[in-house]
Amino acid sequence: MVQQVTPLKIIEEGQRLWDSDRQPAGCTHCHRTFLAPDSQIDSSCPLCRIGHLEPQALRINPSEPERVLPFRIKTEHLRSMYTQFTSGVWIKSEDFTIENLLQRTQKIFWPLWLVDSDVEGQWQMEAGFDYQVESSKEYFQDDQWRSRKIVENRIRWEPRLGGINYHVDNVPVPALEEHQNRQQMTGAYGLENAGPFHLDQSNNASIEAPDLPPADAWPLAKPQVNKKLSQVCTEAAGAQHSQNFSINGKYQNLNWTQFLLPMYTSYYKDDEGTPQILVINGETGEIQGPRLASQKRGWRFAAIIGGIAAVLLLLALLGFLISPIFPPASILAVFSGIFGFTAGIGALLPAIWPSQWNRKNQSPVIIKRD
Amino acid sequence: MTEHPNHETQIAIEGFEQVDSLVSGVTVYAPKSKPQEGEKSKVYDCPNCGATTAYDISVGGIACEHCGYISPVKSKTLGKIADEFEFTLETISQAERGWGTRRQGLHCHVCGAELSLPQGVISTSCPYCASNQVNLTTSLEEFIQPRFLIPFKITIEQTHQLSKTWLGKGWFHPDELTASSVMRRFSGIYLPFWTFDANVTAHWKAQIGYQKTVRHYNASQKRWETRTKIEWRWENGTVPINIDDHLVTGSSSQHISHKILERIYPYQMKDLTAYHPDYLAGWQAQAYETTLTDAWDTGKQAIREAAREACYQDIPTSHVRNFSMTADFADESWRYILLPVYLAAYKFQDKTYQIMVNGQTGLVAGQKPVAWWKIWLAIAALLLPGLILGLIGLPLLLIGGAGILPIGAGIILFGIGSVLSIMLYNKVRQSEAK
Repeated sequence: MVQQVTPLKIIEEGQRLWDSDRQPAGCTHCHRTFLAPDSQIDSSCPLCRIGHLEPQALRINPSEPERVLPFRIKTEHLRSMYTQFTSGVWIKSEDFTIENLLQRTQKIFWPLWLVDSDVEGQWQMEAGFDYQVESSKEYFQDDQWRSRKIVENRIRWEPRLGGINYHVDNVPVPALEEHQNRQQMTGAYGLENAGPFHLDQSNNASIEAPDLPPADAWPLAKPQVNKKLSQVCTEAAGAQHSQNFSINGKYQNLNWTQFLLPMYTSYYKDDEGTPQILVINGETGEIQGPRLASQKRGWRFAAIIGGIAAVLLLLALLGFLISPIFPPASILAVFSGIFGFTAGIGALLPAIWPSQWNRKNQSPVIIKRD
Repeated sequence: MTEHPNHETQIAIEGFEQVDSLVSGVTVYAPKSKPQEGEKSKVYDCPNCGATTAYDISVGGIACEHCGYISPVKSKTLGKIADEFEFTLETISQAERGWGTRRQGLHCHVCGAELSLPQGVISTSCPYCASNQVNLTTSLEEFIQPRFLIPFKITIEQTHQLSKTWLGKGWFHPDELTASSVMRRFSGIYLPFWTFDANVTAHWKAQIGYQKTVRHYNASQKRWETRTKIEWRWENGTVPINIDDHLVTGSSSQHISHKILERIYPYQMKDLTAYHPDYLAGWQAQAYETTLTDAWDTGKQAIREAAREACYQDIPTSHVRNFSMTADFADESWRYILLPVYLAAYKFQDKTYQIMVNGQTGLVAGQKPVAWWKIWLAIAALLLPGLILGLIGLPLLLIGGAGILPIGAGIILFGIGSVLSIMLYNKVRQSEAK
């Protein structure tokens, strides 16, 4: 049984929040919603980089986020990260440069829900208790036995059950429909490093608004709350491990607040001019996104090298033709032929390499929403 | 996370009891621990007539000799599924203590044996040394309680018959030794044993010699000859060994002969039954004197020697040198059990002799006194023919050389007689040996 407390309210278009210049805004292309400062209204969407942000009404928890994980990766660290990221891509699109990536970098906080709940009910589980057993290894050499004791750690599983009347605080649960993809892009965060939210921490950063309302997030939240409860019950039983935890209880006084996680985004344009989004975890610096080689530039290189090869082969042919009347031309013909043939083969490399690279280096991409 | 100030949920679950919780707001229930049987006292009085009752083999339960009251023992035969315990200090320290019924200790001041006797017995003969100089002592409460036992299957009457047959075997025992004198002193006793299980993986490495026949040219003889040669190769192997119910006695060798005890093995573990005090009513039982760790050390020595033997069997030839091996023990477990033995101790010419009968299978082993004059007579009879022939042959040889045959025959007969004498001597020594 769940007693929901819905914290959502409609914030009208242009209405400011938290005594700041932040207002609800949505992307004209991907329709993601943000709490953006005035300076970012009408600028490009920090996530899809196709549409732009326009003020719009939003149904959201109007109170300030409860906790935030600050940016540990500073903007000055990004150059070396981008350098490492782009190294190895031999034929990049002209737009795929470190300077472009740096220039286009934006800070974003993306949301999790923090759920508080009073839980009353009955639980049961198999509690695991660590214990040690003594074993031995016997050695026989030179007609003598030697013995070595070995201590092994084992877990003894015993049934435990009981009642619980407990307040669970700040259980992080998804607040975005694309949470799984976002987590795949950013990698893990050390949530224990989070602190209370202060507005000044979010300067120049967009704050993405939750699009998964509490009612829809509860099925995802419940297992997380139960996981927390299993840890509490394991501790209560004096055990070190638990398995097959189940609880039959009432979840009351649910309280939903926001938890903000830091990330950077940037992009480069591929051959078709489509923005390819890169995501950097603002805490760990883990960087994800497509590292595409440019097929177009590959063809261009191939054409240039192929052209040189054709000229050299033509020279070789000419040399052979005039060699009966001018014998030294045969030497020129041989060398031209060899170089021309080698260049012809070499022209295949830039033509083939980009597609091979792009096939081998597939990485997760941020969900494109049209 | 913070605790909720409300009252804790109260629940009642069958088979579970509330235990301490380390977190406020959470109640914890664990399976009820088994009652500490060692703390309960039980007096075996007949509910009908008030007479003392005892475990009766023929009815398989508690019986009253006076009024015929019978109460079967409420215990299950578990056989090999009987619980085994791991080698944890926790298990040992948590093992239940006491005997589960009011019994009294008996300390023999002659051989030092510690016995547990039913209450009401004031004095008895020590089954180990037949001494009557005994004093009652307090109960041996510091011992781990046995969890399983094999009940007596052989009655005292059957024991008399078996021992009579056994004593009747062999001509070299004193005529004064009558079966009846021993029979009067038989007493059934549950002796303590440790059983051990383990999976041992033995890895061996050795130089193995393979015989090879080689042809070579003998220059001096100017011909080809063959000779055998041993080619040595380093080899290794792995042998898995499963040890199941390896028995180690929990009795001290000071007052019980381990050699005799081993001769009444094996016990059939399929009859292993959950321990119940009723089985001990009216019977003697001995608490262990060899601790678990000491017994395991003994057991381990035997097991690793068995592993070495298995490794040698794995080697395809008998030529082995630089042999080394390791034995990795895994899944070691133990049981503390009681096994039924009939013991008889009797004195003959100031010497104490033991006889044991396996209370489950009826196998008999023990010491028998030897009438040494019969042995010396037999040895003399074995040696004399050769000696006499030799003595006859010697003058014949001096006279004319015809004595060579009797002397030769005498030497052969004397040799045969000597070998048989030594065998006979060893056999009778064994008969007396503890």
